[in-house]
Amino acid sequence: MLTRAELLEPLVRHRTDQVMVTTMSVTRPWGRLSDSDLDFGSADSAMGHTADLALGIALARPERTVVCLNGDGSMLMTLGTLATAVSTGATNFVLFVVENGSYEITGHQPIPGAGRVDFAALARAAGFPRVFRFDDARAYAAAVPDILTTPGPTFVHVLVERGSEGPISRTEAEEARYLRSSLADWSRTMRRALTA
Amino acid sequence: MTAPASSVLDAVVSTLADAGVTHVLGVPDNTSGLLFHALAAAARPRVIIVTREGEAFAMASGLWLGGAAPLVLIQNTGLLESGDALRGTAARMGVPLPIVVTGRGYPKMERHGIDRSTPRTRDLLVRADVDSVALLTEPTLDAWAVPWSMCRPGDDVCEAIRHAVSAAYEQERPVALVLTAPLA
Repeated sequence: MLTRAELLEPLVRHRTDQVMVTTMSVTRPWGRLSDSDLDFGSADSAMGHTADLALGIALARPERTVVCLNGDGSMLMTLGTLATAVSTGATNFVLFVVENGSYEITGHQPIPGAGRVDFAALARAAGFPRVFRFDDARAYAAAVPDILTTPGPTFVHVLVERGSEGPISRTEAEEARYLRSSLADWSRTMRRALTA
Repeated sequence: MTAPASSVLDAVVSTLADAGVTHVLGVPDNTSGLLFHALAAAARPRVIIVTREGEAFAMASGLWLGGAAPLVLIQNTGLLESGDALRGTAARMGVPLPIVVTGRGYPKMERHGIDRSTPRTRDLLVRADVDSVALLTEPTLDAWAVPWSMCRPGDDVCEAIRHAVSAAYEQERPVALVLTAPLA
């Protein structure tokens, strides 16, 4: 099982011009490591709809890889997006499911099917041509360059230790720049960066 | 599948393309099904059928982030399903997003003389001869602060679509067109 740092640091190290979309318990940790107009924190947004939002960006910008760091509870809310992602043929879409088995933000209530739902198997069944599953930090770190550069759509299931992230706000008090403005303002910042 | 020939469908597809719409996302119903076929056969806009209507709002918001100009095409039943997706993505992000909502149940409502002023009582909502989705469409759009207009049988569908697209961009928010006019 990986720590949050073991999950995120290889992505920071190998990222070039990829779009990164985060949600729930990885939103703040990612914002501590990265400060880019190409980061989008799906916070103060629609619960469970991060993967589909990221897929939309990927379809609009086929020249750029879009990485979505989704949660396991969030993924269960919109499993249909697995089928949609494959049917759209978005080869530049990389969908992570970061599995900690719980709703961490609200105090670690277990998600339905915690420990039994096989997210990698769901992705394979939906037709993802590239599916990875990691519970070992070294194997994961070695695979990240390939994950970020080989055409997909790609699904990455990572088992992580439970953290202690609390509810996320969009205020000046947040450390991460992408959480310090409204969703509407940050959306325009990112849109400018993507269309410049 | 080949789209049936229809001057209305062709005109709607041309209107969407001319208005700059790049992607149409949604779930077909009996009214929009032929339009989905016509869109699939056209060079643009690209049509994307999703698994549930809420997904269309999040994907459309992502498309707009990437510089595209999406439009959502769903039935009013799917609109009701989409509440938090619409609120938390397109509305919260201020996405200029035209939404075409095909209106199931309006003929029954009109046949019984029910309109916006009729109280939505428990007895009305359970009546077998009235479709409750039509009763709740307009109050729901009002409650969600989504500006909307109607396109009824006899109205100019293409003009109504052009107006909804313009309004969404002028106001930088989701704007709905409730369509009870036939498309073919």
